[in-house]
Amino acid sequence: MDKLQISSYLIFIISVASIAYGLLFNPANWVVYGISIIFIPSGILSFGLIVMKKGPKEEEEDKIREPFIGY
Amino acid sequence: MANILLNVLIAFLMGSILFGLQRKIMARIQMRPGPPVIQHLLHTFKFFVKESSFPKTAAMPFYIAITAMLCVIWVSAVIVGPVTQGSLLLIFAIYALHKIVEHNAGSSSGSPYGKLSCVRAVFSAAAEVPLFAVLIIIYFKTGTMDLSQIIGFQTTNGPLIYSIPLAAAMFFVLILSKAPYSPFAITKGKDIISGYETEHFGLLRGYLMISESIAWYMLLWVFLTVFIGGLNPLMYLVGMVILSTVVAFINATTPILNPNHSIMMQASLALIGVVGSLILLL
Repeated sequence: MDKLQISSYLIFIISVASIAYGLLFNPANWVVYGISIIFIPSGILSFGLIVMKKGPKEEEEDKIREPFIGY
Repeated sequence: MANILLNVLIAFLMGSILFGLQRKIMARIQMRPGPPVIQHLLHTFKFFVKESSFPKTAAMPFYIAITAMLCVIWVSAVIVGPVTQGSLLLIFAIYALHKIVEHNAGSSSGSPYGKLSCVRAVFSAAAEVPLFAVLIIIYFKTGTMDLSQIIGFQTTNGPLIYSIPLAAAMFFVLILSKAPYSPFAITKGKDIISGYETEHFGLLRGYLMISESIAWYMLLWVFLTVFIGGLNPLMYLVGMVILSTVVAFINATTPILNPNHSIMMQASLALIGVVGSLILLL
């Protein structure tokens, strides 16, 4: 598992845990707003990074090789 | 928390379906069958499971973080708007941040199309931010920038669309400039492929589409709330469908303007709106 995958799992778990905390424990309003603003977007992004499809390893170099560096 | 989650979900689903409806109406006007109304929503989900890779020229991690930034600002807008009915000034700040995100998404990708779009985002901000500033007319009329108090004002004095119609027209132009295929959508003009989103494909495109759907819902919500007043959910739905339909008619029959013409037209409309509204208020 690469660095991106590990950090995505970590962020996803933290996001889901924070949202669950906000839902179950009724914290102060400013805490709820903070959790929503930070952890709803990061939860969606980390979920996306976990479920996204990755191409075969051997094609990876072809994809990132710059075809044109004139600009 | 549940209220916020529910509102964000409604904003995303409604925004996506309204975008789909817009494309359907545009297609029918242009004598095409067009995609199903739920196509935009399906595209969003599809992009999440598409193969994704990040270009070598991208400025990491900024390239990914900027997509999260767009989601952060529009989730904040949902909290300021439907959830707490807070200050209109915060919505204005969120819109200004949206322009900065457009700029940075373009520049972080390393693509020449993205960079062109990034320049256009700054260029268009010069016209769109003054358009949003016509909301100050609302302050002169109601004496407040607080959404709940503006709703209260309209309950006793009638909808603001009748007393400051030019301000409403200016805000509509702003909504129009945020619609895809709009004559003012120069940051996403087809001459620069998909503008600042060109190099954001796969899951990042899906993520941007979620935020854009929330943004579309929020802009329509602000228009209806500020110029018509507090409505029930059904009337909000009807109002949003009507506004999206009008936007679709305009988009289907008008080509995307050249950037200079787009800015000049928006700036002229903003000037007419501000001066005209001030004269009407006297």
